[in-house]
Amino acid sequence: MKKLKRTAMAGIFTSALLLSACGAGSDEASGAENSSSTDDNTITVYSAGPGGLAENIQEAFEEESGIKVEMFQSTTGKILSRLEAEANNPVADVVVLASVPSMEGLKSEDKLQAYESENGDSVNPEWSDPDHYYYGYSAAALGVAYNTNQVESLDADWAEFSEPEWQGRVAMPDPTSSGSAVDFLYGLTNQNDDGWETIQSWLDNDLLIAGANKEALNSVITGDNDVVVSSVDYMTYKAKDSGEPVDIYYPESGTVISPRAAAILADAQNAEGAQEYIDFLLSDTAQQLVADAYILPGNDEIELNNRAALSDIPTLPLDLDNIEEKQTETLNKFTSMD
Amino acid sequence: MIFRRHAPFTALFIILSILAVAPLIAVLGYTFFENGTLSFESLLSVIRNNSIIQTMQNSLLLGVYVIATTTCIALPLAIIRTKTFLVKSEWLDIVFIIPFMTPPYIGSMGWILFMQHNGYYEQIFASEAPFTFFSIAGMVFIMSMHLYPFLYFMLKNALIRIDGSFQDATMIYGGNPVLNWIRVILPLLISSYVMAALLVFIKTLAEFGTPATFGKRIGYDVFTTEIHAYLSRWPINISAATSLSLLLLSVCMVIWYVQNVISRKYTYGVHSGKSTSSSQLKDSLLVRIFYSGYVYIIIGLSIGVPYFSIIATSLLKVRGEPLSLDNVTLSHYGELFTVGSSSFTALMNSINFAFVASTIAALIGFCAALYIRDAKRKPQQLLDFTSLLSNIIPGIVFVVGLILFWNAAWLPTTIYNTNWMPIVTYIVLFLPYSVQYTKSALSQLHPSIHHSNAVFAQNYGMILLKVWLPLLGQGILAGWMMTFIISMRELVGSLLILPPSVETSATFIYSQFEQGDVSKGMAMAVITVLLTVLCIFLIELLQRKALHAN
Repeated sequence: MKKLKRTAMAGIFTSALLLSACGAGSDEASGAENSSSTDDNTITVYSAGPGGLAENIQEAFEEESGIKVEMFQSTTGKILSRLEAEANNPVADVVVLASVPSMEGLKSEDKLQAYESENGDSVNPEWSDPDHYYYGYSAAALGVAYNTNQVESLDADWAEFSEPEWQGRVAMPDPTSSGSAVDFLYGLTNQNDDGWETIQSWLDNDLLIAGANKEALNSVITGDNDVVVSSVDYMTYKAKDSGEPVDIYYPESGTVISPRAAAILADAQNAEGAQEYIDFLLSDTAQQLVADAYILPGNDEIELNNRAALSDIPTLPLDLDNIEEKQTETLNKFTSMD
Repeated sequence: MIFRRHAPFTALFIILSILAVAPLIAVLGYTFFENGTLSFESLLSVIRNNSIIQTMQNSLLLGVYVIATTTCIALPLAIIRTKTFLVKSEWLDIVFIIPFMTPPYIGSMGWILFMQHNGYYEQIFASEAPFTFFSIAGMVFIMSMHLYPFLYFMLKNALIRIDGSFQDATMIYGGNPVLNWIRVILPLLISSYVMAALLVFIKTLAEFGTPATFGKRIGYDVFTTEIHAYLSRWPINISAATSLSLLLLSVCMVIWYVQNVISRKYTYGVHSGKSTSSSQLKDSLLVRIFYSGYVYIIIGLSIGVPYFSIIATSLLKVRGEPLSLDNVTLSHYGELFTVGSSSFTALMNSINFAFVASTIAALIGFCAALYIRDAKRKPQQLLDFTSLLSNIIPGIVFVVGLILFWNAAWLPTTIYNTNWMPIVTYIVLFLPYSVQYTKSALSQLHPSIHHSNAVFAQNYGMILLKVWLPLLGQGILAGWMMTFIISMRELVGSLLILPPSVETSATFIYSQFEQGDVSKGMAMAVITVLLTVLCIFLIELLQRKALHAN
């Protein structure tokens, strides 16, 4: 009997302490608790990097509008998975993705709401949805990055990387990790009849599939590999500026431009704040911040002096029709190749 | 009366159910129920997928290889530490904890930086490595370097328990020492070995850090990375992730069952009551050099190399340039300690979450241990099993379940997207530590304490405060610290469940490696590891004190 009482005490003790712990702890640990509230002064943005830029835009927007931004920064895939998991308790107002096909996916599932932004006309219409469900506020061009300590200069076209001299020296970001690498595969194979042959010939030449964009670039920075094909250009410019031995060029036969798009979610708690955020992303202030981060701004009137301008990059046209479905096919085809 | 009788059990069981059982049910529900009807479609479609067989094979093979390699490393070490002159070098045990406590993703990042083309190996030895490290063998090696201490401690304790009297007996009845070893000691070791080896197997299956960093590089997919991929890559497939989680869960349950059967069948009473002090050890100089050499090589490989690369990288100014004094900077550390910087916030978040999580876990563990005691009755056994679930179920399965459970439509309120989410996740994942540490402290107490409690105590609150807390204090504190260090470095849960605007040191390191500045990540890794080592020393100190008191 006494034993029972002792354990009874223990049980009650636990619950009491747990409750009090919850009470006491919530002060220090509830920072994000209100992020989903309908408070007019907060919006929640899920943004697929790049780190510094997203923070700068957040800061400038908070200053200009007085609206507080809760930011979740991650990769496109992780953001999509979060949206899916949170379907019952939607939190996000604005979503910024590094890939248009996944935006198209969200649109086709009725997860976005249309908004015609006052600044919408100033950005490149090719990167945005004609029905105004999303805006391509910026873009990365995919080029060939190389280690300048190991390769003096380079202007090889895509097909040349299947030549024996490049055997085992070329890396590419993993399309299952990197949305831009899927864009690249899709662009190359959709526009060129021999696109898949080129890719097969790279694989036969020991192409290394190396993680996400930055991991692939890192392997060239440290000299593990000599060249990355389909390298996101802004990362390369940034590394080059910080003194790393890398450089980038765009092959003559044309490369892929991978737009980064922003949209308002259908379930947005604070749609007005979200609209202000989209307006801000397309404004000159934010577009200048985009340009400062070595990324191509959606508004081509912003001057660029730290990187190649859009007009100087040989480009393969982007075909947005059914792009989600086609890219899934592209990805499946690539993962089944050896 | 009936209510009072069951109140402690009910209270504890409800808490543990919400924490640990509900997420598992959520995984089952998501996999098998579609729009309210039973369906095996998602599980079947995952099994039909060709790559799943490959993944399963990869995972299981990896487990087998790691068992083999850790055995080759740990068995000699355990023998050296119990049977040679090194028996007195207690400090070695602290050193051997370090690789086990090093977060696996940090260890493998260290090895990658060391062995890659133009890496530190080539810079130091000015030649290419004589073999390809980037293969399954390299992965097994890295994982074994992380897990061997676990096997080593289990084997060493078993060897200590098999005391000298057995060997004395075999000497008296003839037979040469080698045969004695094979016919007496090894069979006595089997039960402990099999148990430890199967735990190593489960740990390998559940491991995410190394497959996510090193395995990805060599294209070796395992269960955990596949589950993570289904949850975090375009196109998302949550039901495939839950189906895979269930497969992984089943494999672990089977192994756990086998382990239980074996340990029941092959456990012998090996305590003879005779003291363990064996005859004086007189090893020749050559033998001494050989043993010490072996020990130092293992330490060098498991601590020296990865730590060298981590520290070197954290000091580099320009990563593309080789190691030299001109290329050294402390700026990455400076940034880490700048109040308000993203890395500083991440570090503080980790410390806060780990602190709250380990405190609550210690409380629950304390109460659960008091209730479970020797686990003789059915409710005690049930609670014991529930509280240890996360020892046999891989963390990622729990994480998937927690995400699904806390997003269920019928919940009136949710902790998802708040800071309680990581805290609850850490509690669920690491509760077994606090339960086990307290339980083992409890089992060391003499039964007469229970008797004197029964005779002298005025009320039960007093017993709790004046008897159990002080007596079990060291056990609870050790469990608390253990939970604290492991929560500090937890990766896969943090990657998937952190609310917006929040990062921890682990996700910071991982994302620096994936997208940002590796040197900054490595500086964070150095700080994380320093904190860990500090905690290990404190635990060690506590336990030594406890021994003295006894």
